[in-house]
Amino acid sequence: MAFEWFMIVMGWLSLGAFLAVATYKITRVTAQPLNVRWEVYPVPHESKARREYGGSYMEEVDWAAKATHPSRLPGLLEIAKEVVYLKRVREFNQYGLWGISLAMHWGLYLGLATIGLAVIETLLGVTFGLTPLVAGVAFTLGAVGSLAIIAKRLTNAELGLYTVPADLFNLGWVAALFILGIIGGLMDTTFAGYRAYVASVLTFKPVPVPPIVLIHFLVLELFFIYMPFTKIIHYIGKYFTFEQTLWDDAFKTKGSAADNKVLQQLGYPVTWNAPHIVPGKTWLEQAQATGLEEGAQK
Amino acid sequence: MTKRLTQFKEMASLSNEPIAQITADDLPPIPGIAQPAIPAPRPRWLDTYDFSLDGFSDFEIPAPKTDEEKKRIVEGFFRGLEKLFDPENNWTFVKAFRLSMDYCVRCQTCSEACHTYVGSGHQEIYRPTFRSEILRRIYQRYYTTSGKLLPAFYGADIEVNFKTVWRLLELSYRCNLCRRCVMMCPVGVDNALIAREIRKLFSQELGIAPVELLKKGTRQQLQVGSSTGMRPNAMKSLVSDMEDQIEEKIGRRIEIPVDKKGADILLIHNAGEFLSWPENPAAFAILFDAAGINWTLSSEMLGYDGVNYGVWFDDVELARVALRHLQIARDLGVKKVVVGECGHAHKAMMVIADRVFPGDLCISEMPRESCLPLLYQIAASGRVKFDPSRNNFPITLHDSCNVVRLMGIVKPQREIIKMICAQPLREMTPHGVWNYCCGGGSGFAIMNSLNFGDWRKNVSSRMKVQQIMAVFADVLDPSINKYVIAACSNCKGTIRDAQGHYGLWDQYHIHYGGLVDLMVNAMADLPKPYLEWPEA
Repeated sequence: MAFEWFMIVMGWLSLGAFLAVATYKITRVTAQPLNVRWEVYPVPHESKARREYGGSYMEEVDWAAKATHPSRLPGLLEIAKEVVYLKRVREFNQYGLWGISLAMHWGLYLGLATIGLAVIETLLGVTFGLTPLVAGVAFTLGAVGSLAIIAKRLTNAELGLYTVPADLFNLGWVAALFILGIIGGLMDTTFAGYRAYVASVLTFKPVPVPPIVLIHFLVLELFFIYMPFTKIIHYIGKYFTFEQTLWDDAFKTKGSAADNKVLQQLGYPVTWNAPHIVPGKTWLEQAQATGLEEGAQK
Repeated sequence: MTKRLTQFKEMASLSNEPIAQITADDLPPIPGIAQPAIPAPRPRWLDTYDFSLDGFSDFEIPAPKTDEEKKRIVEGFFRGLEKLFDPENNWTFVKAFRLSMDYCVRCQTCSEACHTYVGSGHQEIYRPTFRSEILRRIYQRYYTTSGKLLPAFYGADIEVNFKTVWRLLELSYRCNLCRRCVMMCPVGVDNALIAREIRKLFSQELGIAPVELLKKGTRQQLQVGSSTGMRPNAMKSLVSDMEDQIEEKIGRRIEIPVDKKGADILLIHNAGEFLSWPENPAAFAILFDAAGINWTLSSEMLGYDGVNYGVWFDDVELARVALRHLQIARDLGVKKVVVGECGHAHKAMMVIADRVFPGDLCISEMPRESCLPLLYQIAASGRVKFDPSRNNFPITLHDSCNVVRLMGIVKPQREIIKMICAQPLREMTPHGVWNYCCGGGSGFAIMNSLNFGDWRKNVSSRMKVQQIMAVFADVLDPSINKYVIAACSNCKGTIRDAQGHYGLWDQYHIHYGGLVDLMVNAMADLPKPYLEWPEA
């Protein structure tokens, strides 16, 4: 029974650790200074006509006098396309990664859906009977996808150059998750044990669960704790790279929050050392110095 | 696909032999063009400078001989690397930089986006991710616990010595910063930004940058008024000459306004136009005069040179130049600044400088605009009568990356062409926001020290020349004059060099020029054509 209790604790611990580290990562990004504008077109929140060819509001005369209040929704939808069908990988499928990567990603999504389903069933006290199907598809897609990516990275010399042991370890971990899921599914065909474990975590009531199911969950929970420390968490970075950098085309107005932020950042000290940097100055003072002043240059 | 897979560890090779060899045979052919030989570096250079990346260099800086000198550069590199990650020293880009460093999943989806990687015949060192991966692995090895504990496991096993550092410097100047690769990245990782940040590290920490960008570039611009070396009096003299030339061409004298207080528009050109293509600023003057626009040029230091090379390599210099430009506009009391045909000046003034200065220098208070929408407005207004039959020759349009992909100004120039040209625009493949860089972006157009120009003409410009040849494939007969519109000074310079290198005019009568030049050529009331084709 001690192991069952341990597994209940692990269920909550892994979720808590994941949320804590992911939140820390998000906070670390949001705490960064306001970036200068560095957008790339097309930006999704432009009008449909402009979006199609990559146009911007800067195509108009006197654009600064015209208010723009773009919705963030088109950007989020565009990111969703990356999540759902890996849009860019599909369009520019240089190394044939799209199909197998999509399989692995959908394995992960449906794997999470399987857990979600078990949670809902536990909370509602019903059984939909969908778990074996959803889990079966998830584990099969995930296992095939992750193993195929490993094979691709090991056999393609160009991809291999950019593949480090840690990448293979991470992919191997993902593959192991799915393979254990498949073995568990074969031994627990109704997924009663799977649901029983999820229920035990939710209700804090240890129950006997087939060992293979517990091993599957243990590997999954350890993965949840490990994942935020790796680039597997790139789905969080994606929001910031796209929405807050590549599509951030908002121009600044006097007295706005962004304006105040820039003013504050101009007060940061500059400690770069090149001869054309004037020592002991803030960013604003650096900008005001041309290096013409006698003695200004080292 | 790749010729030879250069390994990351080769970056640390102590040999002076290049780790990648560029030969004419490896380069993808350009139909209709006999590939010129690529000259080897001059023997006397090899004793003095470092060519150990790919046999090319723009750095006319004697390679350090003593261990002490080498150590100083390596230590400076590490100090600079730390500052790139510091929110105060690098507030301008740290967020985007960190994201790109942290989240690349190494899928290589971006690779074929790069005109240099493809144009080199897929040389591994030019792949967009190659230099980023080196920086990432170095950072991991020296600054992360995981990399320190398990360097081989994380691939963090690149040794950093002087050669590694110097090759990385060179490598940061093998990317045009066109950012086409970021459009293909499923995570939004910006490898061009990483290249730029490496350049910045060297410039801001060690003062190492191509002489054309720093010493003769931003330094000269801030000290004498222009990166061309042109001083205010010379500018005024050139404007006076331009008035004479205009009179000769159009049969009447136009007074070009200079330092006119309270004008509606301050027009800022790339000063290179005054010297290399004076017909371009003259065309603006003719057109603005005809359209009745209340405008002015500035003769203040920097006011007549809109370039801002800091965009490519140095945030401090970027801020200094941008601040002068905006102060000049404010002091003149103009309603807005309009940037002439110069791509990076567009981006510097309108996009980047937008978040560098607050208050009265905000875009909302001191608007900055591209000349292209204004030119379109003039064309569409009917104030100037155009006769498209005057432009009855095949034309194509080269899109400046800065104006199109990085600012979204795509349509006005195409609408103008419809109104002033007799023949339909021949769009290159690809074009618009998906265009290929001319190969001169991010300073390469003006970098001609040692044998860097050879690299540009043969490698980074290759895809553009291929596109130009393809778009005119059915009219290559030299009896037909053809025109490549390049509404960007640096693009024009690059195409000019490629034109000479590949014999585009001599063999096929392919010429290049600005958009406004073509507009003036189509003005119905001019007594003779404005365009002048090269001598046959």
